[in-house]
Amino acid sequence: MRAGTDSVFRRALASDYFVFGLCVVYAAIVAPFTPGFATPDNFGNILATLLPLLVIALGQMLVMIAGGIDLSVTSIVGLASIVGALAINDDTGWLAGSALATPVGVLLMLALGAAVGAFNGLAITQLRMPAFIVTLAGMMAFSGLAVWLTQSKAINRLPAAFNLLGGTTAITFAIVVFVAAFLHLLLSRSLFGRWLYAVGHNPRTAHISGVPVAGTIVAAYVASGILAALAAILLTGQAETGSPVLGQRILLDVIGATVIGGTSLFGGRGKVLWTVFGVLFLKLIDNSLNLLNLSIFTITMVKGAVILFAAVMDSLRRRFADARP
Amino acid sequence: MNTLRSLAFFPLLALLLGLVGCSKSDPASSPAASGSAANTDKPLTIGVAFETLQTQYWVAGFEAIRADLKKRGYTMLEAVSDGDANRQLEQVKNFITRKVDGIILVPKDSKTCLPMIKAANSANIPIVLFNRPADKSEARSVAIVADNFALTRETVAYLIDEAKKTGRKHKAMILVGDLGDINAIGRRDGFDAAVKGNEATIDVVARIPTEWNQEKAQAGVVNALQANPDIGFIFTSSDFLLPSIVSALKSAGKYHKIGAAGHVILGGFDGDATAYQMLVDGYLDATGVQDVYFEAQQSVQAILDLRAGKTVPELIRDPGFVIHQGNLSAKSAQMWGAQIGKK
Repeated sequence: MRAGTDSVFRRALASDYFVFGLCVVYAAIVAPFTPGFATPDNFGNILATLLPLLVIALGQMLVMIAGGIDLSVTSIVGLASIVGALAINDDTGWLAGSALATPVGVLLMLALGAAVGAFNGLAITQLRMPAFIVTLAGMMAFSGLAVWLTQSKAINRLPAAFNLLGGTTAITFAIVVFVAAFLHLLLSRSLFGRWLYAVGHNPRTAHISGVPVAGTIVAAYVASGILAALAAILLTGQAETGSPVLGQRILLDVIGATVIGGTSLFGGRGKVLWTVFGVLFLKLIDNSLNLLNLSIFTITMVKGAVILFAAVMDSLRRRFADARP
Repeated sequence: MNTLRSLAFFPLLALLLGLVGCSKSDPASSPAASGSAANTDKPLTIGVAFETLQTQYWVAGFEAIRADLKKRGYTMLEAVSDGDANRQLEQVKNFITRKVDGIILVPKDSKTCLPMIKAANSANIPIVLFNRPADKSEARSVAIVADNFALTRETVAYLIDEAKKTGRKHKAMILVGDLGDINAIGRRDGFDAAVKGNEATIDVVARIPTEWNQEKAQAGVVNALQANPDIGFIFTSSDFLLPSIVSALKSAGKYHKIGAAGHVILGGFDGDATAYQMLVDGYLDATGVQDVYFEAQQSVQAILDLRAGKTVPELIRDPGFVIHQGNLSAKSAQMWGAQIGKK
């Protein structure tokens, strides 16, 4: 009987839809006594705020599958936001009034994200520095640069077309679905996807097997940088303002959602769908506790406990996998 | 097959979110319930969204609004965004979802609040900005703010008069707030206006950009005191930075009472409990006090007036007052920091 229960528990943990099941159960439990939770408007709110977080979490997922961590993502959001806004704002922007302002601004922001990601990846692989230190130092340096660029000022009066990208849920949704589907195919169907998992499982074995380990790690960080910049585009459009401190407080949510989804902190495990569920679960908790009129301190404590629980689950999964005959 | 199933999940998820949303309704937040609240004496529900509760001033403001609403028998929904503008937008939308009767907002800055105001405007919910006004735009809101420029100018003018009494020229330092905050700009400009024309007494040698951060303030003050050990005049754009200044002055051996040799003339803005205690102890020369109780009462009243269809000015000024050694006993009853300090 005990063995049967263990087996069910292990199978539930290993299921792709484990966290989605938690989402459904959680929503069913809180809906009856959370005012305004089960309403179309509220689900619209959840979807609108979930999408930018999902984009950053997908980048974090790629890096974590490769066995790394990217703490610089929130500084990329702030830096890309303010550089983009400096370039395209209607008052003093270099591209003010130009029809090309939005496309060029978007490309500029994505290129900036890629450059920061490449810097992180090269520092980790070529200088053999720990990812934690490189990206933590990057977070401080790039956040400082973002604040210095405008002396902490926010910039608004951005082109309407740019604001639509993050401010219109349908457009944001279409962009994010495209990105998520592309990454899903990349991980499940491409050689790069197999390399990424192999590097995360065991970089030495991957190297002996002919996988370009350094190149794969750099590519993961570049992708994370680009996705953080894409999130900056969406968040900036949502706020209709470029800000050097945009996204500064969401690092815990990004890593938490990725881990809750099931991406392993130890590398080699992770799926797009898991990350979608992880972000959804975190947002459901955030939103419902907020609607229950709980204070920010309580919400943060609950989220911290949930993320800790997810990390314990990650350890359990790993232990079960190691114990498998 | 697995890939196709997974890819199909994303649109299904969106559909599910929509369907679940449509399948249930929340009686407490139905339009009918909201409508009745607008037309009867039914107690109102007000959403109060603060950007932060990290300083005494914001906590005092939050509690003053809570007390005012409680006194009127209204319900307060609260949200704190911890400095995240996008999160605050989500919180305001949550208030709208719950069909609150009014929103009181302390935004991160004057620009990121514009989509929030527009969202409230679209839902026809009156929105009042507490202590931080929005940039000019087509979005409609009311802001209750201290006259940062005038009050700072008055405070610094008092400090300059004290400096003149010493008969010597003073090297001066100002701690500037986050320049994304229009209040910080008003205080900086008020300081500059007071100094203008008094260059024979005041020579501003250091401007410390603090971004409303105590660690940055302390590092800046330490550096400035090392570069200019003879600084004798300091103004901080917020009293919550006073502990950073005191720490740096103590390290430099320059923290002395008013009247003692080597006293650094010290002034601030806000009127918090630290400032009150420093005034009582004789270390602080003056501070500009924001009347947090007036601002809280005016915020709630503005929502009621807007709901009643009355015309409310876009900007309601809190005149505030300067408190100093000469009027401390007479004015301390009006100083919110003194009330907190006495508790």
